[in-house]
Amino acid sequence: MSTVTLSAPKAGAANGIDYLFLSAAMIATAILVALVLLDGQTASAGLILGGFALGVAFLKAEFSYTASWRRFIARGEAGGLLGGLIVIAVAALAVVPVAALSKNFGGAIAPIGPSLLVGSFVFGIGMQLANGCGSGTLYTAGGGSGRMLIALAFFVIGSVFGSLSLPGFLALGGINPILASDYLGPWGGLAATLASLVVVAAIVVAIARKRGANYKPSRTYIVGGVIIGLLCIAVFAAGGHPWSVTFGYTVWGAKIFNALGFDFSHAEFWQWPGPKHALSESVLSDTSSLTDFGMVFGAMAAAAATKRFAATAWPPFKSLLAAAIGGLLCGWGARLGFGCNIGAFIGGVASGSVHGWIWFVCAMAGSFVGIQFRPLFGLSKD
Amino acid sequence: MRKVYMIVVLVGFVAIVGNHLISPSTGRAVSPEDFAGACAPCGAPCPVK
Repeated sequence: MSTVTLSAPKAGAANGIDYLFLSAAMIATAILVALVLLDGQTASAGLILGGFALGVAFLKAEFSYTASWRRFIARGEAGGLLGGLIVIAVAALAVVPVAALSKNFGGAIAPIGPSLLVGSFVFGIGMQLANGCGSGTLYTAGGGSGRMLIALAFFVIGSVFGSLSLPGFLALGGINPILASDYLGPWGGLAATLASLVVVAAIVVAIARKRGANYKPSRTYIVGGVIIGLLCIAVFAAGGHPWSVTFGYTVWGAKIFNALGFDFSHAEFWQWPGPKHALSESVLSDTSSLTDFGMVFGAMAAAAATKRFAATAWPPFKSLLAAAIGGLLCGWGARLGFGCNIGAFIGGVASGSVHGWIWFVCAMAGSFVGIQFRPLFGLSKD
Repeated sequence: MRKVYMIVVLVGFVAIVGNHLISPSTGRAVSPEDFAGACAPCGAPCPVK
């Protein structure tokens, strides 16, 4: 026998709309846009709005790299993984040729060495424990998941530790970035990039079929993949580089640690021109922070527009512990691996950079390991 | 959880705006890749010069 308790709807949540958080997200976004426009930075406004649209798109499509990879590893299902490749294919159509032809644009490149291998592998473990990658953590935290708020906080802390570890790993050696367009020209580079995506998609489908699993992406993933790919192009157009997420986390963490009295003036990472500039300048001068802020508020607005925001109870302690450990590993791994699923995988492959595929293979291996640890925290393997 | 979110959103937003108002902002938003010698999205140098 069960007991049903009826209660009146909460004020402000009528019609499924949470006006408090919806208006907070819209007002916060408007203020950030106004602040950068006051400085005459229209491209920055574009990045905030691009991030906002990405937050809405990810939340509405429930686009999850972490869950897609887990379904592929655990059950062989390839639909979600293929949806992720659609994003890259769409983005590559603009990124490869424009980055090669215009001096005002650049692709996401990275050196290939121990840092990339270790970082992406550790990131893969972390994303399965945190239950979110860079973008996933951002939009689910923005969308009202308290668990992912914990993951995000530890992601930020981990990425600061990663910034301190990276120079030591780079000292172990490596080779300079390998970019398809450097060898094949803009259009040959694009052709090679698209061909590599087709080959990987064919391998993924073959594995799924051999395991008797579904390999067809859902309509939501196809449409979502195309829209997110187009938004990647919009962010690329506004920022001059492919969309990246996790450098913003590193900057936020370093600024917080700085405010608490930590001194980064002797940390090699923070003496490189880019990070040094980001640490000293306004957080709204960093391209990845701008899209990150937009994405959080976009996801918040999309979630609040459909239901009472953040109304679920906190998950069990073990789940929160997994989020914290996973977040730390993701943050550390993202810094060593030159980004997350967005900056390293989508951005790297869509730029025709070999490091993107190496990141994918190592992060997939890390995900396999991470999935084995999930039951320790009361999380399912699939 | 809603109360926690309200506090986090408020504190986070005040921190963003506060940092912007007290920090220099010398021009267009940049990525570490925009600086000379950068070999990665975080601005790391190339292994082989």
